[in-house]
Amino acid sequence: MNPHARRWLHHATQPQWLFPALLLLVLGALWGVVFHLLDVERATEERAAAVLTGELVETYEAQVVRAFREIDQTLKFVQFTHASMRQPKDLLRTMNERGILPPEILFAVSITDPSGKVVESNKADVPPNLAVQDYFIVHRERPDDNLFIGQPLKGLTGDALLHFTRPLRAPDGSFAGVVLISVSADYLVSGYEVDKLGRQGMLGVVGLDGFYRVSRIGNLVLSGQKVDYSSLVGKTDPDKADSVRMDIGLDGIRRYTSARELFDFPVAVVVGVSEDEQLTLFDQHRRSYLLRTSLASLALAIVFAILGRMTWQLARARERETLATVEHAQRVEYLAFHDGLTGLPNRSLFSKLLVQGIHQSHRYNRQLAVLFLDLDRFKAINDTLGHDAGDELLREVALRLKGCLRESDTVARLGGDEFVVLLSELSEDKYAANVAQKILVATAKPFVLLGNEFTVTASVGIATYPQDGTDEQTLTKNADIAMYHAKEQGKNNYQFFSTSLGSDVFSRMALEGSLRHALARNEFELHYQPKRNFQDGRISGVEALLRWNHPDLGLVEPLQFISIAEETGLIVPIGKWVLKEACRQSVAWQALGLPPVPISVNLTPRQFFDTPLLAELKSILASTGMAPQLLELEITEGLLLHDVEKSKRVLVELRRLGVRIAVDDFGVGYSSLATLQRFPIDTVKIDRSFIRDAAEKSGNETLTAAIIAMGRSLSLNIVAQGVETKAQADYLRDRACDEMQGFYFDTPAPGDRLASLLKDQAGDPSPVPPSDGLLEE
Amino acid sequence: MKLTGKFLSLALVFGLGTHTGTADAAVVAVVSAKSGISTLSENELTDIFLGRLNRLAGGELVSPVDQPEDAAVREEFYLKFGGKSQAQLKAHWSKVIFTGRGKPPKRVANSAEVKKHVNDNPNAIGYIDSADVDSSVKVLQIGK
Repeated sequence: MNPHARRWLHHATQPQWLFPALLLLVLGALWGVVFHLLDVERATEERAAAVLTGELVETYEAQVVRAFREIDQTLKFVQFTHASMRQPKDLLRTMNERGILPPEILFAVSITDPSGKVVESNKADVPPNLAVQDYFIVHRERPDDNLFIGQPLKGLTGDALLHFTRPLRAPDGSFAGVVLISVSADYLVSGYEVDKLGRQGMLGVVGLDGFYRVSRIGNLVLSGQKVDYSSLVGKTDPDKADSVRMDIGLDGIRRYTSARELFDFPVAVVVGVSEDEQLTLFDQHRRSYLLRTSLASLALAIVFAILGRMTWQLARARERETLATVEHAQRVEYLAFHDGLTGLPNRSLFSKLLVQGIHQSHRYNRQLAVLFLDLDRFKAINDTLGHDAGDELLREVALRLKGCLRESDTVARLGGDEFVVLLSELSEDKYAANVAQKILVATAKPFVLLGNEFTVTASVGIATYPQDGTDEQTLTKNADIAMYHAKEQGKNNYQFFSTSLGSDVFSRMALEGSLRHALARNEFELHYQPKRNFQDGRISGVEALLRWNHPDLGLVEPLQFISIAEETGLIVPIGKWVLKEACRQSVAWQALGLPPVPISVNLTPRQFFDTPLLAELKSILASTGMAPQLLELEITEGLLLHDVEKSKRVLVELRRLGVRIAVDDFGVGYSSLATLQRFPIDTVKIDRSFIRDAAEKSGNETLTAAIIAMGRSLSLNIVAQGVETKAQADYLRDRACDEMQGFYFDTPAPGDRLASLLKDQAGDPSPVPPSDGLLEE
Repeated sequence: MKLTGKFLSLALVFGLGTHTGTADAAVVAVVSAKSGISTLSENELTDIFLGRLNRLAGGELVSPVDQPEDAAVREEFYLKFGGKSQAQLKAHWSKVIFTGRGKPPKRVANSAEVKKHVNDNPNAIGYIDSADVDSSVKVLQIGK
């Protein structure tokens, strides 16, 4: 079936068309049948009426013939007897006694003489002379002895009378009078039965002369009407039983009419039944049928309407259901491929799109780029402000990212704060860089979260097809590596993949993994770098430095893992461990009888701003038995300046504990004297960049001097970091630096090594010269 | 059929003139004194005289006998039993005779003839003035 036909068929069977159509069909069939039945019934009734008429006329004919014959028999008897009697006398009386006369109640029998005088009669009220009557004249004139049926005449009582006469002959054959039988005309129609003929049926006897001798319609009896005999009776064929015609009677009523001429007598009998009456039954039937059919039609219509409506509703419900199911399925599919929070494609969808993109690029010889990015300070915000703020941030980031892209590009969220961008149809290399730049700009714009402004930055790694990989896994891996490189490069930048990056980032990713377990596996160790007094060169304190004994990589420097620790938050438990260990170590040294030296521990920003810090410190001091004033916490100048108010509060609290505060990497933060004064600090450690410049006799040297002077003016203990040359050492000594720290003097060493150093020092009061030997160790 | 002029005058006479013993004379149905029939219901009597019934429930044959058409007693009889006028009677016999379904009762000239007839014919039933009842006839009890 061709699609047009199929579609038409589908349309046509919709409930709103189907049911009315079916209804019409059924009704059409029903009414068709009913009308047919009515037609058939009408025809049957008509036929029945015709048949009835035929039967009635036959019966009537027989009755009239019998009546006539009986009358005529009597007349013939009288005629015969009279002819055989020479002096006929009391003929009728004799006949009466013998019971040969017709019933007196109906029939008057009379005999006349040739002059018309009534000689004998069975009735008393017969006129005395009948000479003037038509029948008398006829018989007197005519030579035959035949029966004559005259016109109906009004009798004495006013009713029409029929006269049947025969002539009487004398023995010599001469006219001797007439014998007459008269009967009321209505005798001939007294057999009218309403049951058969109805109230408008017709019985009649019409003479060959066209005059009705008598006719009866219902109860109305008439005589003498004139009709056209030949048209009424027509050619009678005795064999033709049913010559029934529709005739409009003299009263205007249509009747099934049948007329038959009698064989022996000069009349025809006529029977008619009214069409209306005969078909009354049919009419009633018709009305009843029509009524019932109408009711049935109505019922059908209602039923169809209900059914149709139900079907329609069912169809609609099913449609709705289907739609809902489809929608649901679509929704499920959407969710399967889209991130719920941001609405961006998720990892699975992105994977698909990337594979597709690779195929397309391969086919059309184009480039594409994959950009991995994550948000640099997302975790901080998420932890500090709560997940709702974090979610909001992610949503906003998603929007901004989308705004950086074309229609053909895709951005997806891989999870957490990681996003990936697919740039398909790369027309030129620069485009990827442009997009990366746009992303950085977009993400660097402040976000408003919980009513406050926050900034995050992004690190973006870029891998391009086909240079950086030809399949999904390679491209994504390399983009990821490039991103990590961007992070290592200080974040808030983008980096293209290059093959040299591979191992570095692998190690970085591996590091993070192992770092998580490092603490539990006791892979950490503290090394201590001595700080020496400029005056006598003796060890005046140590700085605790974290070392990591990686099972595979060996000893790992903080530079390599501290940033990971900071970002992942692992710094907090690690830092806690460092503090504890440092305190323990210090107490252990003192237990050995060694003179107490202050021990410095670095605090990272995360540690510093970590709320439980004070409580932790307190408990560590208590549990280790460490004297607070022997513990110095080092924080960078940059950290202090990041949030001045908060930093001050924390420092105040720390001071209250009794621990000492040192500002590390001093000088690079551009803090003023005034700011510094606000902080409760004890020590200032000059950033190594100044120390490096110190002996150079360059412009920076003045800067260094100024910084030292500043520290002096604040009455702070001044430590020079990173002293590596004698020249530097001399310079600083001249400037009245208090302490120094650096490779020139010592390398960081484990606790027991320090212990022996301190022990030696304790036993030897002389100043310690700068020793190159130490360097060798 | 309408009443004959003669009867009309007779009726007038009866109506206007003094009512003799026969004025609202009770017409009675009679049978032979020797007849075994003594009671009939009105319906039975009517049916017999209308030619519808010629045998009683007990199996006895019955045949009616009429008086002449102009007899007052006749008119009374048919009015009293069955409520038929002479015109109605005539119409009845017209139909019956025409359709060949019966014949009218034998007719005799007067009450005396009726009595004579019933005596000669034990099956016969006739009607006479109650004044004319004698021992030769038995009056039938006509129930409703």
